[in-house]
Amino acid sequence: MSAGCLKNYVKWYVTFIYLLGIFLCFWKADFFTQSVEDWVLIYMLSASILLLSYFTIHLPPKDNSFSMDSAIYLASIFLYGISLTINVLFVSIIIELMYKKRVALWKHIFNFSMYCLMIVGAYYSFILFGGKIGEINTHNLFPYMISLLVYFSLNILLMFLFFFFSGQMFKGTFDMGILKEACISYSVTLLLSLVLTILLKEQRFFGLFLFTILVVLLSFAFRKFLYLYQDVSERANKDHLTGLYNHGFFKETLNEYFSDAKKLQQPFCLALLDLDDFKKYNDRNGHLRGDALLQFFGELLKMETKEKKYVVARYGGEEFAILMPNTRKEEAFSFLDRLRKKANDTYFAGVEHIPSRCLSFSCGIVEYESGIYESGELIHRADQALYYAKAQGKNNVQVYNEHNILLDTIQFKEELDAMEQKLKIFLSKDIYTYRHSKRVFKYALEFCEKLELTDHERQTLVLGALIHDIGKIEVPRDILNKEGKLERHEWEIVKKHVTWGKEIIAAEKQFDDLIPLVELHHERYDGKGYPYGLKGEEIPKLARILCIIDSFDAMTTERPYQRTKTFEEAVSEIMRCAGTQFDPFYAKLFTKFIQEKYLSRVHEQPEKYHDNKAVQ
Amino acid sequence: MVYDGILLSLVIGFFRGGSLKGLAHMKLRGGWLFPLLLVVQFVIFALQDKVAIIAKLSNTLFLLVYVIGLLFLWLNRNQPGFIVIFAGVLLNFIVMAVNGGRMPVSVEAAQFLGREYIDALQAGVYGKHQAITQETLLPFLGDIIPLSPPYPRQQVISIGDVVMNVGAFLFIQHLMLSAPSKKTSTAPASK
Repeated sequence: MSAGCLKNYVKWYVTFIYLLGIFLCFWKADFFTQSVEDWVLIYMLSASILLLSYFTIHLPPKDNSFSMDSAIYLASIFLYGISLTINVLFVSIIIELMYKKRVALWKHIFNFSMYCLMIVGAYYSFILFGGKIGEINTHNLFPYMISLLVYFSLNILLMFLFFFFSGQMFKGTFDMGILKEACISYSVTLLLSLVLTILLKEQRFFGLFLFTILVVLLSFAFRKFLYLYQDVSERANKDHLTGLYNHGFFKETLNEYFSDAKKLQQPFCLALLDLDDFKKYNDRNGHLRGDALLQFFGELLKMETKEKKYVVARYGGEEFAILMPNTRKEEAFSFLDRLRKKANDTYFAGVEHIPSRCLSFSCGIVEYESGIYESGELIHRADQALYYAKAQGKNNVQVYNEHNILLDTIQFKEELDAMEQKLKIFLSKDIYTYRHSKRVFKYALEFCEKLELTDHERQTLVLGALIHDIGKIEVPRDILNKEGKLERHEWEIVKKHVTWGKEIIAAEKQFDDLIPLVELHHERYDGKGYPYGLKGEEIPKLARILCIIDSFDAMTTERPYQRTKTFEEAVSEIMRCAGTQFDPFYAKLFTKFIQEKYLSRVHEQPEKYHDNKAVQ
Repeated sequence: MVYDGILLSLVIGFFRGGSLKGLAHMKLRGGWLFPLLLVVQFVIFALQDKVAIIAKLSNTLFLLVYVIGLLFLWLNRNQPGFIVIFAGVLLNFIVMAVNGGRMPVSVEAAQFLGREYIDALQAGVYGKHQAITQETLLPFLGDIIPLSPPYPRQQVISIGDVVMNVGAFLFIQHLMLSAPSKKTSTAPASK
């Protein structure tokens, strides 16, 4: 089903509900034969409903709120029947239509139609189960409960269908927590509607007045509570000096936004800012002035991001982070570049002593893409873009892309050496893994030439290939060298090597690029791999490539618990699993590469191949 | 009723930390119209029993007063709450216009106002009001809402009056709370 189709469905659905609701309204409403007293009642009930839907009851921790207007509708159904209730609904919707202008018209009408359906449903189920309009029977509460159940089931059903048709459904929309909360607020509504029914029956206007005032006061109390709560939690989340959010809150929010962006496929940007030559400023002007500069810059950031819904945090020291939900990288770039110019034009005492002679910062921006599987990677990329910006002479904004990462062949050699050193541990512990890593490294090095990769990606793939099984250091020797099939629990331990490997690699910041390769080289294209069960494009490109090479080598060499395949068998096996276990595109390229590079040679010198096999 | 509403607005305004200073900042277009209309109304009240021509034209005159009042409210529709006042007055105007210039009053709702009032109402001579009968159009917009204890005063009002009061409440709240306060915003520490 394409998105277009779904859009159409939602239109049909909304239109259908409209027609049904409006039909019910005109069928049941009755504007001309109501007596004058009834009209007074309608006014009063509508006024209460408007007050109650304005003064909703807020509940911490999040901005959950529920309105008590349903209690009034229900009480009105029980006491005065359906036509008066529909009249009340009509009057209050008309007034809401006039003062809630920001809400789109179709939403108002949809809301109205939904309430119509709910009220009609509640009324007839009440009648059907023996409820009598106009009196309150405390000996038989059953009809009231059924009526309420129907009212809210219809509410949930209609909303559910709406979200379903508009395709906004994702995991967690209707989880147990929300359901539990809804149940509580529904039972509160039922109880209050019974209370109101009794009050209305006994004292009519004064009863309604008492009820409304009570709920409004409750709303005030809860609102104060919420403010208090927010105040306290804000204080825990704020940085002392600048008043921006602190590092911890930033990480938390980043994770939230990240999973939102992933589930809803919304654009999302992260920017890291670093004040240029802050150390020099501090040295020249003293720490107090340095703090004042940070404060000033924080204030500037706050002012500039006020209108947008950006989250600004002090990332640490003179580094700041901005989370930009629903923003594309082009938009983020133009925003930050304008901010940069503004900062340049803003004078702050003492800046004339630093080289650029003005307040300036460097900035790296990264946009979420489907290949990024963890929020930490986003930070890493933004950091790389920031370093690139620094290297470009500071005071500029850079958007992350694979081409603008600093490349350094000497550094690459050093890293390669460091990797080799790490790998040497396997020489004594598990010679198989040592050789396997070396071979995968060799394949990767050769295969790279056939791929269209940037230099940085090439380096990453090669280094990653060398180090990808580093986590096996943690796997006990007897499991690694066991002859025969592994037990289930042993297999579980072996599977953990990807996570352990990630932890080992993450210890050094310079290897952050390799984390996805180490952690994800056992993910499968169809989503049945481990540790996360990522699917298709969700797995980073390099990890998909490494997976193929790794499997190929595993198939073609002697393993304690598996029989060996020839190169031909392995190639056909890879082709067979292309699209399920492997990325079909790279699987094809890889088999082509093996055929060209190895199989042609193997046919020429079959005995050498056999030698190889014997050694391994 | 209108005066009660204003009083209530002032009290709540004080509770919310507002001040009367804000009232001084009221800027209305055509503000002079308002007292003039009041005077005209009182003149009609005073003279309709004595001068025949005014008695004859009083309904039309009342409607005219309303039209000018509506015009004044429309001129100031950008002020917060005025559009609500406008809606309330319009509702009253509509019901009076379709019923020949007089406000229909529900006899049942007006019971507690006393025998004399009801009699006068049914005879059709009490101020600008008349009783609701079978012929009355749009009776639900008329004076049908009885204000009774615990409300301190006894009165019958219309939905238009209620809406009008809500508007006045919003306007006064706005005036009282938007007065410039002594707190100044913290400016960034720059020279």
